[in-house]
Amino acid sequence: MGLTFFLILLTAIVAGVFGSMLGIGGALILVPVITLFLGVPVKTAIGASIVSVIATSSAAQIGYIDRGITHTRLGMVLELATTLGAIAGGLTAVLVSPRALQGLFAAILLWAAWGMRRRRGGPESTGPTGLLDASYTDPADGRLVEYGVRRLPLGMALSFVAGNVSGLLGVGGGAVKMPVMNIIMRMPLKAAIATSNFTIGVTAATSAAIYFGRGYVDPKVAVPTALGILIGAPAGPRIAGRLPAEALRTIMVLALLAFAIQMVVKAAS
Amino acid sequence: MTPASPGDSTRRSLGGNRPRPVEAINRLVHRVLMIGLAISATLLVAGLVVWAARGGLLPRSVTGPVQALRDIGGLRPVGFFSLGLLALILTPFARVAGSVVIFLREHDRRYATITAAVLAIMVASILLGRA
Repeated sequence: MGLTFFLILLTAIVAGVFGSMLGIGGALILVPVITLFLGVPVKTAIGASIVSVIATSSAAQIGYIDRGITHTRLGMVLELATTLGAIAGGLTAVLVSPRALQGLFAAILLWAAWGMRRRRGGPESTGPTGLLDASYTDPADGRLVEYGVRRLPLGMALSFVAGNVSGLLGVGGGAVKMPVMNIIMRMPLKAAIATSNFTIGVTAATSAAIYFGRGYVDPKVAVPTALGILIGAPAGPRIAGRLPAEALRTIMVLALLAFAIQMVVKAAS
Repeated sequence: MTPASPGDSTRRSLGGNRPRPVEAINRLVHRVLMIGLAISATLLVAGLVVWAARGGLLPRSVTGPVQALRDIGGLRPVGFFSLGLLALILTPFARVAGSVVIFLREHDRRYATITAAVLAIMVASILLGRA
């Protein structure tokens, strides 16, 4: 008992660091480790993973807002699309086979990994666009990065899909939103990470409230998860801030590929 | 680990030569998240302390807020854990609700509408999820 608690706590600390550093939540690391190695049932793990996303989003956000990197207003616009997508996903859940969904999700992740990789070496920002222009100082080199948002309607449509998929699978909103902001909306990587982090807490909180109401949240797993994330996640913005964007991009591509493989394995099993 | 006050960030984020006050909305989000996480972490740690002091098995399921308060009164860990997790879950709700108020106060009708719609969808999702 004590040992499992401690191991979940340790896993959650690592998941918190990575999740907040990449803007995709900690479920990518947390769920496979606690289900495969620590014997946590999948249902309990999903409840804990949703709690972990809220904790990652909130704890990381404090650091990103402090550094002025989060685009709060854009985040709120995208939240509108994601929450709508999530509610639509919840309503249509019975109509779609989980296997098809996992396959679709894997395909989206592969597209995201490819798109992120293709943009490496390019300029971090393509300059202001007159739409939701913002700026921040990159803590890695002290440069002022000014940018605007491109293709907002398409970005919102894809955020709707992200909310839809995460509403259906209970995971992965951030892994779609972060690349959409970077690849489609042309936001600089760090702004996309911070803003994705900002928005994922809202969908997760909604799912978590439902899980909590049904009594699906198991304190034995959720408490060490929440505490571990709260310990680990504040480091994410510091690390992400200091790393050069290119290094961050490489880590991101690998994480997306790992996530895609997880989904393929799930769909095939 | 502890971040500086949000006031510092804007000076940094705008390169020093163009100081502009931090947007009220960012100050609010920062504050709400800090308070929510502090409450949650305090309750969860308190639950662990009580559990360590009194021994016994960890609870398997959470309880509702009313029962949780009763359990806290009786120094049962499940009460602290339930309320601590609930505080964590409600923090994003508080952040969105607070944003509506800030935008209304600033007469920013567009963003007040957007954030109010987000809050409404969140609440509707829960009601639908319960049904």
